[in-house]
Amino acid sequence: MADHHGGHHADGHRRQQQLQGEAADQAAAEIIKEQDRLLPIANVGRIMKQILPPNAKISKEAKETMQECVSEFISFVTGEASDKCHKEKRKTVNGDDVCWAFGALGFDDYVDPMRRYLNKYRELEGDRAAAAATSRSGAGAAAGPDHPSSSSSAAAATAGHFMFNAMDRSTDSSRQF
Amino acid sequence: MRQARPYSAMFAGGVSARTGPHALPLARIKKIMKRSAGDSSVVDGGGGGGGGARMISGEAPVVFSKACELFIAELTRRAWAATLEGKRRTVHKEDVAAAVQNTDLFDFLVDVVTADLGDDHTDYK
Repeated sequence: MADHHGGHHADGHRRQQQLQGEAADQAAAEIIKEQDRLLPIANVGRIMKQILPPNAKISKEAKETMQECVSEFISFVTGEASDKCHKEKRKTVNGDDVCWAFGALGFDDYVDPMRRYLNKYRELEGDRAAAAATSRSGAGAAAGPDHPSSSSSAAAATAGHFMFNAMDRSTDSSRQF
Repeated sequence: MRQARPYSAMFAGGVSARTGPHALPLARIKKIMKRSAGDSSVVDGGGGGGGGARMISGEAPVVFSKACELFIAELTRRAWAATLEGKRRTVHKEDVAAAVQNTDLFDFLVDVVTADLGDDHTDYK
């Protein structure tokens, strides 16, 4: 097979392969970046299906358009919440900022349900934290950072790491393509 | 009272669904939020305070996981109305685009759905 190529052609061929390899790497990186930009199509499709009657079908393109719309919705609201934090000289966008931003952007119907959801989440988190603390105290003293902000940072880092792994596994298992 | 809330507690007792108690993955929501919260943008030198960079608290993606369900539900219902107008039972992306264009609240999505239609080089109809 190699005999079919002269020196020049061999060089060109190798260079072409190299370029294709680089292009493939770049394409792969872009695909990964693209996937991170959107919520998983399976999750979005499932929610859509729950809304529609049983005989309804959803084209893949419709799901893809919905994926784009949801990401834009998150960015739109987050941008508004972030601006508010900036004006108030705060560094962290929290749940209250997001709830406020819904109202500011005309999603009035979302504000009260989301505030209730957030409060319920905080209650549950408080209960779980208390339960975890009790469990930990049984095994021995749980020494944590004393400063609230340090505590928040440490917990956030831990949570982020844990969530990332857990969610990535979940995402992979639910991905269809 | 501690401000931090350990996420690992959410999974005490096991994960009942693939994304736990939420229909949408929190980590992905957080990544999307970070893009528009100025996490990786140039620091705003002109503004007061801490500049453009923002951190996202753990509870913010939780709020969005529910809000996005409401959003998808609302947009899907309106898209389905467009599907029915077309006497079809398969929702096409044109139906989603019609829902966006017919609803003032979704004005911010016009570019998204228009670009989607414009980029389509294949006619599946």
